[in-house]
Order: sequence, then C-alpha cells, then structure tokens
Amino acid sequence: MKKTLALLLALIMMFSLTAQTAFADEPITLDVIICQYGPNTNDWFLGKGMDGSNFVEKFEAANPDIKLNLEVVSWNDVHQVVDTRIANNNAPDILNIDTFSEFVPDGLLMPVKDYCPEDLFNDFFPAFIAESVIDDTVWAVPDLASARALFYNVDLLENAGVEVPTTWAELEDACQAIIDYYNGDVYPWGVDMTTDEGQACFAYYAWGNGGGFVDADGNWALNTPENVEAVKYVISLVNNGFTNPNPATETRYDLQDMFSAGKLAMLLTTNQLPTYVSDKGGEVKMATAGIPANEGKTGSSVGVMDRVMAFKDDSAPDQAKRNEAIGKFLKFFYDPENYVGWVSMEGFLPAVNSAVEALVASDPSFGAWLDVLGTCQFYPAAKAEWATVRQGVTTVEQEALIGGDIQAGLDALQAEVAG
Amino acid sequence: MNSPLNRRWWEPYLWLLPSMLLISVFVIFPIIIVFKLSFSEISKAGVIGGYIGFQNYKDAVNLPAFKTVMLNTFWWVVSVVGSSTLLGFIIALVFNQKFKGRKIARAILVFPWATSLVIQASVWNYIIKYEYGSLNSVLLNLGVIKQAINWRSSYQIEFIWECGVGIFVTVPFVAFCVLSGLQSIDESYYEAATVDGAGFWDKLFKITLPMVRPQLTVSTVLNIIYVFNSFPIVYTMTKGAPAHKTDTMITYLYMLSFYERKKGPATALSVIGFLILCACSGLYMITVMRKEEEQ
Repeated sequence: MKKTLALLLALIMMFSLTAQTAFADEPITLDVIICQYGPNTNDWFLGKGMDGSNFVEKFEAANPDIKLNLEVVSWNDVHQVVDTRIANNNAPDILNIDTFSEFVPDGLLMPVKDYCPEDLFNDFFPAFIAESVIDDTVWAVPDLASARALFYNVDLLENAGVEVPTTWAELEDACQAIIDYYNGDVYPWGVDMTTDEGQACFAYYAWGNGGGFVDADGNWALNTPENVEAVKYVISLVNNGFTNPNPATETRYDLQDMFSAGKLAMLLTTNQLPTYVSDKGGEVKMATAGIPANEGKTGSSVGVMDRVMAFKDDSAPDQAKRNEAIGKFLKFFYDPENYVGWVSMEGFLPAVNSAVEALVASDPSFGAWLDVLGTCQFYPAAKAEWATVRQGVTTVEQEALIGGDIQAGLDALQAEVAG
Repeated sequence: MNSPLNRRWWEPYLWLLPSMLLISVFVIFPIIIVFKLSFSEISKAGVIGGYIGFQNYKDAVNLPAFKTVMLNTFWWVVSVVGSSTLLGFIIALVFNQKFKGRKIARAILVFPWATSLVIQASVWNYIIKYEYGSLNSVLLNLGVIKQAINWRSSYQIEFIWECGVGIFVTVPFVAFCVLSGLQSIDESYYEAATVDGAGFWDKLFKITLPMVRPQLTVSTVLNIIYVFNSFPIVYTMTKGAPAHKTDTMITYLYMLSFYERKKGPATALSVIGFLILCACSGLYMITVMRKEEEQ
C-alpha cells in the first residue's frame, strides 16, 4: 500500500514538474489595451507607423517568449470595454487609461513594484509617480502627459490693441475690447463645459482663485467660497457674451477648430494645439501665456496624465514569469528609441527623464512645456470618488449655465463624496 | 387514429429550436442577468458583490436627474413615434400614387433609415452648427437671414432638434410598413366606395386606415421599442447636456454607469426601462387587438 502511495506521489511530482517545464517553454501572451490618442495610435502599435513596422512586431521580435494580444480602443469606448471585461472576469494584463483609483478597492491591480524594473521606475518623473499612490503603494505608471496653458491669436489681439490678460479683471476688459473691435465676429474666450472637459474648466478657474478639488490635507473641498466664486466668474463670462455660444456642447475640438479658423481669440487648451492646427492646415500666429487668475491669486497650469497599469491574474500558471513579461513590455515601451517617437507623434509630453534630451533636441518648444509641466497641478485621480467628482462639477457648471444654484450644487456634491 | 400529422408533432418544435436557442442565449439569458445584477452590489470597477435588495432601485429613483430624464424619455418616445407615424402614413399615401420617378423617390426615402444613426446625428450636428453650419451658410447666401442664427440657443431647442432627427430617421420605416399594407388593398374597395359617393376622407377612414391597421400596429410597437432604446442620436448631439436636461433614459444610464461609475443604479434603471417598455408595448398591442376583434 505504502509503495503504491509513494509511486503515486512520485508520479504526481513528475507530472507537475513536466507541466511546469511545459508552461515554462510556452510563450506567455499578454492582453494589452491601449487608448486611441489620435489617428496615428493604431498605426504605431499595429500598422506600419513605426519605421514601416509596428510596436507589436518589434516587441515580439525582441522578446520571442512573449506574445502580445494588443487592442487599440477609442476613448469613447474604453471604460465600457474594460468594465465589461472585469465583470466577465477577463481583465486585460496591461491597461493604458486615465484613471486607476476605481480598480484599487476591489484588489484588481498589482502594485507597480511587483513588475516594473527598478531602473525604469527611477526614470519616471517623481511628481508624476506621486499622483498614482494610494495607501503608500504605487498602482500605475504615467505613460504621457499634457499641460494646459492660454493660447492666443497674436494678430487678433494686436489688431484690437489688447494686451494678454493675466488677471480675471484684465480678461474681462480684453474680452470687451475684442467684442467692440470685431463687432462680435470673433469670440474672445473659449469655454468647454462638456462632459469631456468640464472638470478642466472647473480646475482652470478654481485653482486660479485659490480653491480646487481638495484641501491641504487632501480631503474633498468642493463647496468652498473660492470654488463658488470661480464657477460664478466663468458663468458670467458666458452670460456677458465673451465666449463661444454653447459651452455645454462645444467640445475642445470645436473650440480648436474655431481658433484655427481665426474665429476665437483666446483658448485654454493643451500643448498639442500647434500640432492640431497645423494638421488641420490652419495658419494662425499663436503664442502662449499663463492661465489668468483672480486678483492677488496665483494661477496654476493644469497637467493631465494618463497611466499604464497591470491587473492581477490569479489563474496565470507562473506569476513570476508573467510579472517579468509585463516588466519587459514596459522596458521596451519606455526605451527612448521607441518612446520618443510615440510621445512626439501625437504632440504629448514625456513621463520619463531618459526621453527629455532627445525630445528637446527634436523640438526645442518641448523644453518650455516641460518647465510648465513642472509647475502643474494634477487632478486628484488617486481618490476613489474622482469619477463622481469629475462628472459632478461638470453638472454643476452646466446647471449654472441655465440658472442653477452653484452653491447648492457644490454642497450636494461635497455631501455625496465626503459623506 | 395515429395520423402522419400526429406522428410528426415534434416537427414544428424542431424548426423553432434554433431560433429559440438564439433567443434564449442572446435575449432571455441577458435579461435574467440584468435582473439579478439590479439586486446586487456592484463596485465602481464593475465587480459584482452580494444581494442588496432594492437598494439600487432606491438610489436610482432618488437621483436628482431621475424625474427630468423620465419626462424627457416620455416626450422623446411620444413625439418621435407619434410624428413619424403620422408623417410616414402621409408619405406612404403619396408614394402609393402612380407618378413619374416613383421608384427613385422610394429609393431616396430609404436613405435616412439605412444610414447609421451616428452618421445621421453627426451630419445634423454640422447642419445646425452656429459657426460653420450649412443651414446658416445656405440661408446667408440666399439672403434669407443677415446674421447667423444660433439654432441651439437653449436646451429645449436642442431637445427639439434631437426629436426632429429621431423623426427624420424613423419616418421611412413607417412609410414602408404602411406602403406594403396599402399595396395589398384591392382597388375594387375604392371603386365601390366611389360608386356609393364616398369622398377622400370617407375612403381614408373607412377603407385605408382599417386595412393598414396591422402594419401600423407592427410599426408602432417596433418603433416604441426602437425609439425608447435609441442611444446614438442623443449621445452624439448633446451627450445629455446641459446637466442631463436632454438625456433620455438610455443615454442617462450609460453616463451613470461609465462616466459616473454608479453601476448599481444604472442597472436598476435598465430594468425599470425594460418593464416600462413591456407595459407600453403590451398595452398598445392588447388595445389594438381588442379593437380588431370587436370589428
């Protein structure tokens, strides 16, 4: 009996070892979801946009033991795709998206230290990494960033004899001067309060009035007098006829089109605007300045960052091998030879130090934007309630456009997220 | 006694089996899942937790935008289905007449229905755009207006535009349903009525309408379901802005689930929508069928 049992155990051990060896020899497949940043994203990852080849082909050639099942998904669909996959217990291995905090409470993500090589981790801008920390754990790494500033049409302002505004009062004067000079044919100021950018609109004015989303301790502080005043101010710009006519439905891209066509004089938008205008064939003489703030307050640029994160997969036969494969993916992606092309292709700003030199060499304007990025404030995306707040402040703004009570709206939102 | 017909009693069920299987997998099973989800706790990321009773329903009904959205949905369905049924019926009457170019006119009528709703809505967005919209361009060039008009100056007007696009894309479906009914009416009915001295309206209400009632019933029930569940027009044109004032239930629950990450109330809303649809379609069909039986 004992002999039989021993034989059985030996067979099981042999089988398990064979199985392990078999798994070890098999190439590991990583499911990757990448967001579509622009027309070139798909081509770069899956087409011919990377020196006649693509990221997947090059990565698999360099790492024959890893296969990529990579999908480029539009921003409109990505949350739906990811949530559906999570609900079906089929989360991707690697995900590129904007927010991460909603995945942490359910224990879906792996800490970055489990898969990210140390030298790469140390290459990220520390200020960026700090934006992806919950409970002292880093859950995601930044893939790229953009910074917001005031873009203005130099000719339109010069013709109207308008100086670039630095304060809210100056901004109102400048708007009135532009209206008077162009007889209403040019919109002085662009405002986007759509569901895509309402949170940015809130940030521009709240941060420029000493308010914001959170207080000094990082707790939600949405219904402060500064924030109420900030929303009132931007609504007054709309009501005074200083802005585009339909801020709740005119997106950033509509505004950029107006700016391209010389129909809009000033606009708060991302550093990608020059690329956007030249892609559209526009010939606007533009310049940038800081975001105007209220009297006696300091304006702050708004930084927006997207992230890469890795999901847990308890069914993976070899966790160490999987983690190593994810690390190799990141190393290849952030390799300056690949990453510089990726970031500059869509006009974004880098997230790693190693790419800065090459980017500035290729386009000196990157240097100035990197300085702006260093002083940016970011959305509190590490807080679990961020999705609610993002939509909540947009709803308050849109309500205010049709006469809603700003204080009551922000009070309700504060009560909902802060309890 | 044991006729060949009786021996092959199972045959109809066999033929029905593939479609029954498809309906079970793609319709009934998801409905059961959604019902189950609506009583479950669902995290922001979509992870399904335990049973929480009617909490999701309570949360859904207490949402600030709930009443607005329900009212919008009512007006959306009533205006789009009602107007497109009336217009579709009139167009079908016209297209049933013999005139030169009738075939081309019928082919053109299909376009709004055959084109993707997202494309339709995007095209209408460009037409009514304030700055570069083609409507303003045409009117300015024709000298009808001297200054561009903001065709979307309030959310009420935006909602009317959405309903207008809904009507525009729904009319062809009604027209073709009714046209198929009109073509099956025997000419002798009208000839007999003419001999008896009936006028246009008598023929319309006493012959045409009763004869095309089955087609109208089908198109109305299907339209109630399609229009209620229609997502692309509202989402493409306004995304419910400002502050859900132009949302219908379907676009609202999408925003709730994937933008605000309130997945529990969103699931409850989808069940509420399903029950409303069942009730409306069922009630309408029962009423129409009763009338037919009475007649």
